[in-house]
Amino acid sequence: MILQAIGSGYIYGYTVMEVTGLPSGTVYPAMRRLERDQLIRSQWERQSIADAALRPPRKYYKLTRGGEAVLEASRKRYPLLAKLTPEEMQDV
Amino acid sequence: MNSAWLQRTILRAASFLAPGDQRAEWLEEWRSELWYVPRRGATRFCLGAFRDALWLRRNNLSPAKPIQACLESPLGCLAFLAACAAVSSLIVALLPAPRRGPPSWHMGIRELPEGCMATLMLSCLLFPAIRMAMGRAAADPHPVPWTGRLRLGIFLGLKIALVQPILLCGLVLGFLIGPVAPFAPQVAMSAIWTFTIRWVFADQQRRCPVCLRLTNDPIRIGTPSETFLEWYGSESMCSRGHGLLQISGMPASYSEQAQWLRLGDSWSGLFRSGLPSSEAAGVRPR
Repeated sequence: MILQAIGSGYIYGYTVMEVTGLPSGTVYPAMRRLERDQLIRSQWERQSIADAALRPPRKYYKLTRGGEAVLEASRKRYPLLAKLTPEEMQDV
Repeated sequence: MNSAWLQRTILRAASFLAPGDQRAEWLEEWRSELWYVPRRGATRFCLGAFRDALWLRRNNLSPAKPIQACLESPLGCLAFLAACAAVSSLIVALLPAPRRGPPSWHMGIRELPEGCMATLMLSCLLFPAIRMAMGRAAADPHPVPWTGRLRLGIFLGLKIALVQPILLCGLVLGFLIGPVAPFAPQVAMSAIWTFTIRWVFADQQRRCPVCLRLTNDPIRIGTPSETFLEWYGSESMCSRGHGLLQISGMPASYSEQAQWLRLGDSWSGLFRSGLPSSEAAGVRPR
């Protein structure tokens, strides 16, 4: 679910929580586990971008190639997974 | 109460569970995420930080700390315990006599062996209970030869002997603070005694029966939700490649004991100079 959410463009921890409906105590450790298994990677956004938007910088997550392969395999096994995230966010 | 203050306090409190070298970044991430959370669910959001910090603590991949590295080898462990025993003995010898209580509790260097014998006898009363609570030693399909068992026994005996001055120091300190805080010494002593002896046995269980080094690099196998179908728990390995130690997450009738899986010589290529080559490759040999 979390890979699907990140693959659909929900790249921040809180947005993943919102779209999956999972609590923070589940989502953040799960994302760390996915990062440890090299399925996703995290990066802090640049300070200048955050300053321009008058907000603190956020850590965002992206799928790695391994993560994309696992997500693809999961989608084939669980076809309903693709319907988890709203369509309009696919391009974000 | 100001809810923003409460949330900041929750995050700060949870941050102490995170490993020290990652604490600042961990706190930064949670604080920045909190900025985007609506005020209504912010406190609930922050409570999840405890679970995240605990996960980070349990799965910390940063290099072992100096004390852990020191305890890994059997000689290092004994040297560390000997140093602690020496410091404890010195403290016992330098402490003043208690104002109330038996005057014999003021010990000089000469009385230390007698004091240690007394704590050893008290410890012997705790051994069976703690041993039973911790379960049996790891099962090994290929039993260790008698020389190996003798080495394990000597190592355990030395550890038990070296913790006695530490326990004695705790006992004498308990007598000193007794008049100031009634019941506190008894509670503290029970806790120190149980913790120390439990550590001695837990440390012994986690050691490789061949080289007596602590097994490390633990990984989790299986999930608690599948406990009826499959074994789950943690697996750690000897850094010299002698074997893998599997400890059940929840003891069941079929997995009550820890299991020691010996690795054959064909695995030796994966371990170079005491460090698994997987550390360099980032892959665990399975």
